Amino acid sequence: MSTVLAGHGLVKKYGSTTALAGVDVEVRERDSLAIMGPSGSGKSTLLHTLAGIIRPDGGRVLLRGARIDDLGENKLSALRRKRFGFVFQFGQLLPELPAEENVALPLMLEGTPRRQAVERARRWFAPLGLDGLEGRRPGQLSGGQAQRVAIARALVIEPDVVFADEPTGALDQNTSTEVVRLLTSVTREQGAALVMVTHDADVAAHCDRVLQVRDGRISSHHQYTVA
Amino acid sequence: MRSPVLPLTWHLARSSGRRGLQSRLLAASAAAVGAFVMLVMIAACLGSGARADRTAWRVPDAVPGRSATAVQATTTTYVRHQPVTVVNLAQRPDREPTPAPPGLSAFPKRGEVYVSPALAELLHRLPANQLADRFPEVKSYGTVGAAGLASPDELVAVIGRAPGDPAVSESAAGGSWYDEGQTARAGITGFSGSKPSMFTGSDQQTALLGAVLLVVPVVVLAAAAGRLGAARREQRLAALRLAGATPRQILAMTAAEAAGVGAAGALAGALAYVALLPALARIPYGVGSWYTGELWVGVPWLAAVVLGVTVLLTVSAVTMLRQVATSPLGVAQQADPRRTRMIRLVLFAAALGYIFLTAQDHMTNRQMIVLLVLFYAAFWLFGPWVVDRLGRIAGRFARRPATLLAARRLTDDPRGAWRTVSGLVLAGFVAGFFSVSRLDIGFTEHPDQVAVLTDGGADARHTAAETRTLLDRAGVKATVSTVGEDDFEDSVLLGDTGVVARVSGGPEQIDAATTALTAVGKGRFPVSQDYVSASDDTVTDRIATVSTATLILSFLVATASAGLTAAANVLDRRRVYGLLRLSGTPLRVLDRARVRETVLPLVVLAGGTTAMGVFGAYQLNKAAGATVNSSGAFQLAVCVTIGALAILAAIGGSRPLLRRVTANPTQTAD
Repeated sequence: MSTVLAGHGLVKKYGSTTALAGVDVEVRERDSLAIMGPSGSGKSTLLHTLAGIIRPDGGRVLLRGARIDDLGENKLSALRRKRFGFVFQFGQLLPELPAEENVALPLMLEGTPRRQAVERARRWFAPLGLDGLEGRRPGQLSGGQAQRVAIARALVIEPDVVFADEPTGALDQNTSTEVVRLLTSVTREQGAALVMVTHDADVAAHCDRVLQVRDGRISSHHQYTVA
Repeated sequence: MRSPVLPLTWHLARSSGRRGLQSRLLAASAAAVGAFVMLVMIAACLGSGARADRTAWRVPDAVPGRSATAVQATTTTYVRHQPVTVVNLAQRPDREPTPAPPGLSAFPKRGEVYVSPALAELLHRLPANQLADRFPEVKSYGTVGAAGLASPDELVAVIGRAPGDPAVSESAAGGSWYDEGQTARAGITGFSGSKPSMFTGSDQQTALLGAVLLVVPVVVLAAAAGRLGAARREQRLAALRLAGATPRQILAMTAAEAAGVGAAGALAGALAYVALLPALARIPYGVGSWYTGELWVGVPWLAAVVLGVTVLLTVSAVTMLRQVATSPLGVAQQADPRRTRMIRLVLFAAALGYIFLTAQDHMTNRQMIVLLVLFYAAFWLFGPWVVDRLGRIAGRFARRPATLLAARRLTDDPRGAWRTVSGLVLAGFVAGFFSVSRLDIGFTEHPDQVAVLTDGGADARHTAAETRTLLDRAGVKATVSTVGEDDFEDSVLLGDTGVVARVSGGPEQIDAATTALTAVGKGRFPVSQDYVSASDDTVTDRIATVSTATLILSFLVATASAGLTAAANVLDRRRVYGLLRLSGTPLRVLDRARVRETVLPLVVLAGGTTAMGVFGAYQLNKAAGATVNSSGAFQLAVCVTIGALAILAAIGGSRPLLRRVTANPTQTAD
C-alpha cells in the first residue's frame, strides 16, 4: 500500500516550549495510526500539523507525495475540506441542523446540490447504526450517536485521511469501544487512512499502529499484528 | 460571616482579560445607548407638555362680561408658511388693571407691540410690505420673554389695542370651523388659561407615541447586552459550580456583575444625555427648537431610567445563566427547537379584528396609543410565528449552505431572531404610513389664494373693489373674485362668503397680498391655505416627524442590538464555528449565514410592515384624490436604506471577532 500522508522532520515551537522536535511519520492507505502520550507531549500538535491546521516551524508534510505545509491558507482550507475528514471529542455538529444535514454539509460546501448531498449523506446512516435518526438534531442524540454522525460527516466526502482528536473522550467505556470500532472499520472500508489522538490504550488497540509521543519526539512505535 | 460573592465577582471581573473587558464595555455601551434613547424620549414627552403649558395663556379663558377686566383676541397669520400667533389685548376702561401676560412685564398699553425674538428677527429681515405692515406701526418693538414662549423659534406678537379696535371686536372672534384653535376672543381677568395652543397641544401625545414605539427596542437592546457576557460567564461560573459554589451564589455573582456593568453603562448614557442637553435642545420639533430647561427630565426620571436599564440587563443576564446554576456540567444542549404554535396566528388575527372594529375616525391620541400597544402586542405574538415559518420555507428551498444554516437558525430560535428586528416592525409601519400620507385629504387645496371674509354678498362686492386697489398698490398680481356657498371646491374659504385673490408668484407674493389685505379684514387677518389646513397639517407634521425620528432611533437601537446579538452568537458558538473552520468550512459561509439570519426576518417583517404602511397611505391618498407626500417618501427611503446598511455593518462588525475566535480553537502545546 502506498503512503498517503507523511511528515518529515516536523518541528513546532510555542515560544520556549518545543511541541514537536523533529518527528517523522508515515501513514499508508487503509492504515490506522493512534498517537498517544501524556498531556503536553505534543500529540495533538502532531495531528494538527499533519492535517494542515498548524504550520510547522521545520520539516515537511506531504499528501500523496505533494508538499502541503507551504500552501496558502485558502488552499489549505480547501484541502482540509476536500481531502480530509475530522472527528473531534464533541461540539462539532451544528445544533440547529438535523443529523442528515450535518452530514450533507461538507458536500454542499463543495457545490453538490442539496438533494443529492442529503441522499448521499443518508447512505451513511444504516452502516453506522443510525437508521431512523436522520431527522434528529444533535441535542436529541446520545453522545455515541452524535459521534457516529460526526464519523459519517467525516467520511461522506470520501477523504484520503480521517483525523480524529480524542473521538471517544466524552463517551463511556462501552460506547467508546463501539464508536472506535466503527470508526476504524468504516474508514478502512472506505479506503481512507485514520490518524487518531487518544489517551486511552484500549481505544488505541483498535488501530494498526500506535505512536507514543513524549517531549515532542516519538518514544516508541508499536505495530499490532492482525489476528 | 461576610458573603464572598462581591469580592469574588470583583476579582473575577478584574482577571478576565481583554476579551472580558471588551464584552463588558460593549454591554455597558448598549446600556448607555438604551438609557440615552429612553431619556431623550421621556424628555421629549415631558418637554412637549411643559411647552404646551407655556402657550395656554394665549387661549383666552372666558369670564362673565361683568367681571372681565380686558378683552383678549388671539389669532394667527402666516408668513412663509409659518404661523405667527397674534394676541390682541385691550384693557377695559374703569376696570381693575389686568395683570401682565407671561413674557411681558406689564399689560400692553394701546399701540404697543411686543414680539418674540424670532419674530423680531423676521420683521427685520423681511420687507415691511410682507410682514411688518400687518401690525400697528411703532417706533420700536417690545420683547416677549421666554416665559411667554414655547420655543425660542416661536413667532408671537402681543399687541395693545383700544377697546373699540376691530382687532378685539366681536368680528375678530372667528366662527368658521377652520378658526378652531387659531382664532378666539373673550373677556378675561388674567392669563390663567389651561388649554394649550393648537400648535403645541398634540405634541406631547405624539411624542408619547414615539416613546411607546421605542420601549420594546430598548428592552431588546438591554436584553442583548445582558446576554453578551453570558458565554464567557457560563464557562467561568460552571467551573465555580464544580468547585462547590451554590446556585444562589452563582446567580448572585452574575447579577452583581451584570448590575455593575448595566449601572455603569446606564449612568454613562444619563451623563451623555445631560451633557448633550444643549445640543438636543437645538433639534426642532413642532413649533421649533427648545429651551434647554424644557428637556430636563429631573432627577427622579433620571434615576428611574438608570435603575430600569440596570434591572433589565441584570434580569437578562441572570435568565441566561439559570441553566449553569442548576446544572454543574454547564449548559445542556437545546434538544428541541422552540416551536411556535398556530394559536399565535389566531390571536394576531383576533387582535387585528378588534382593532379594525374599534378604530374610529375621531380617536383621541390616548385611544390611538392603546390600540397601537395592542397592535404591537399582536405583532409580538405573531412575529416569532412568522420567523419560524420563514425559516421552514427558506430551509425547504435553500440550495446553498449559508442559506440553509440561516434558515435552520431561524427555526431553531424564532423568538431570538424576532427580538432583533421587532423594534423596526411597528416603527416601520407607522413611519411608512405617516411619511407618505397626507391627513388633510378630502379638500382641494388652493395654495395661491388669499381670502377675506365678508358679512354678505354686498359687502363682498365692495371689499373686492377695495382688494383690487390694495393689491394693485402693493404690486401683487392677482385675480380677484367674490365667492360664496357655491364655490366650496374652488375657494380657500370652503363655502364661506368673501373675496378671494388668486395670486401669481411664490410665498413672497402670498405674504405681500396677506399684508396688503390686512386692512380690509375688519380686525381679522386674511385667510390663506396655511390657515385653513393648519389643524390637519399640524397633526400630520407632528406624527410624520415623530414617526421618522422613531424609525431613525429604532434603527439606531436595532443596529446596536443586531451588532451585540451577532457578537454574542459568535462567542456562544465559538467552538462549533471553530471546529467547522478547522475542517475547512470557509469563513465566508459562516459569515453569510450570520447575516442572512438577521436579514431574512428584517426584510420580510420590518420591510413588510413598512411596505404595508406605505401601501395603506397610498390607497388612502388615492381614494381621496390626494398626491403622495413625495418628500416624506424620499425621507423614508433614505432612512430605511441607511438603517438597513447600518444593521448589515453592525453584523459585519463582529466578523473580526469570528475570525479571531475561530482562528485555532484547539491550539495547545499538547
